[in-house]
Amino acid sequence: MTSNSEKRIKTLELWAAKMRRNVVDVCMQRGGYAGQGVALSDFGACLYFDEMRPDGKGWYHDRFVNSNGHDTIINFAAMAEMGIYTMEELRTMGADGSPIDQSPIEGARGFEITSGSLGTGVSQAAGIALGERKRGTDKRIYCLLSDGELHEGSVWEAFMFAAHHKLSNFMIVIDNNDLGATGKTSDVLAVEPVKEKLEAFGFHARQINGNSIPEILDAFAEAKTIKDKPYGLVADTKIFAGIKVYRDAIPFAHFVGANGRWDTGYLEWKPGWQEIQDTIRKLEVELAAMP
Amino acid sequence: MLLDRDNREMVSSAFDDISFDLCKRRREVIMMSADLSQYVDLFKVTKDLPDQYVDAGMAEQNQVGIAAGLAKAGFVPITSTFASYASRRAFDQMVICMGTSKNTGICLGFTPGISSPAPIHHQATEDLGMTRAIAHATVIDPMDVTDFAQALDAACDRPGLIYMRGHRGTTPKWLDPDRFKFEFGKTYPLRTGSGVGVISCGHASQWAVEASDILVDEGFDHSLLHVPTLKPVNENEIIDYCFAHDQIVTVENHQISTGLGGLVAEIVTSVGGGPRITRIGLPNTWAPGGSIKHIRSVFGLDAASLAERIKGVTQ
Repeated sequence: MTSNSEKRIKTLELWAAKMRRNVVDVCMQRGGYAGQGVALSDFGACLYFDEMRPDGKGWYHDRFVNSNGHDTIINFAAMAEMGIYTMEELRTMGADGSPIDQSPIEGARGFEITSGSLGTGVSQAAGIALGERKRGTDKRIYCLLSDGELHEGSVWEAFMFAAHHKLSNFMIVIDNNDLGATGKTSDVLAVEPVKEKLEAFGFHARQINGNSIPEILDAFAEAKTIKDKPYGLVADTKIFAGIKVYRDAIPFAHFVGANGRWDTGYLEWKPGWQEIQDTIRKLEVELAAMP
Repeated sequence: MLLDRDNREMVSSAFDDISFDLCKRRREVIMMSADLSQYVDLFKVTKDLPDQYVDAGMAEQNQVGIAAGLAKAGFVPITSTFASYASRRAFDQMVICMGTSKNTGICLGFTPGISSPAPIHHQATEDLGMTRAIAHATVIDPMDVTDFAQALDAACDRPGLIYMRGHRGTTPKWLDPDRFKFEFGKTYPLRTGSGVGVISCGHASQWAVEASDILVDEGFDHSLLHVPTLKPVNENEIIDYCFAHDQIVTVENHQISTGLGGLVAEIVTSVGGGPRITRIGLPNTWAPGGSIKHIRSVFGLDAASLAERIKGVTQ
């Protein structure tokens, strides 16, 4: 499917719902960055199940660098659907002796970099983009980072570098959720206007609703048409978007514990777990009914 | 393997030739700089092999990150800047982007220790200790153009982070390239003898040789051991050398804590009952600026003072 058809979108909505389910499933065990993972499932579904081209060997021709270690739950959530990790494995995340790290180190299945130190992934992704261009490949390099990560100065060094070298095979996606580790990014240290800053740094930039699959697909399509510039996508997301009971219950959560504890309260896992199962069933029925 | 005094020479712009020769032979190598290429004698690669040169601008953190990315695209990156910036500014990137990777990532730190005329901010006198603390890292402090060139070549085939001090400007060629063969971890006896054992690395191995020349003329019994690999060093060679002497002196272009002296002390104390170890270098202080001749004299690291200090440990 190459057109932005209703079926294509519905298919991705189902992938995103399954990713959300996997995020919640894992985070219910020992806690995790559930709010970010749920909110980024739309982007993750579009990237893993539509945008990146398969290499014919079970992985991808294109390369995805997740610079924000806190968001790697979406890598796991997608790879569980691909059969690269089992849910049994992933449910051990955070347990003593588990091989599944919350923020994996380089060499773990499906991860390009060690991403726990924020900001360092963007430079590496730009380096990969330059290297792939030097090798003459047509690989596209996607890098996810967050608005809070923009506090790290080295990301701006990397932005300048990518623009200077006209890395049009390089696309950054900023999870613009106004969320840092201890509060709103806008309160801790303001980063807006992000889109304009990217443009000033030499990017072709676009701001979208990061929880709208059609808008994400449009941006991916546009990015491929841009010559001589890296592409910067500012994806506005809302914590826990896609699971209404969680979204309504929590305005802010950096980390949610297994017992549901978040920064100033407790979340009940069960209603959202039920909601996402219902969403999956509904989407499966709707998709089956489509021609 | 030490050339006779009459055959020792000085080589101008040594790194220009070393880097150019390396890049011509190995097309996967990419030399990098953080807007300091001319200040580390990086000329010919930038002009004649532009596809193998990347300048990151004055952005040392990004330089190391970009390098790690190039490695992930199949290249062998060699970053270059002053040692003070390589170690202090980009330490996290060295650890996270290169240190946790199996890809080769080489970071060169030029004008290390007191070999920079600008005080403190340009003088890295703690870089060996910092990088020696990184798990699985390789740390090299070569003494002249011979081991510098050979170590850099060997580093291109070694996985993970390699931090190496560099030599710029007119550089001694004191090791005989026909007899010296660099191997990671190997230690190199430059002069044999009993009495006082002098262990050194990097620029300080030049100073140790200068002092040793005086001691030879005076007939003072001693030996010299050059240790270019701070990590991982062949500990058995260090133990055998140290326990063959009553007194050990370490000489380094670095703080006397955490560098070569610390390394030798760690190894010897793990055995127990060893010789006394006198550590010579920078004694927990900032160095002044100025010519290296001046700074060496301030710290008693000039040839005559160093010779006296080596003799002095027996009294």
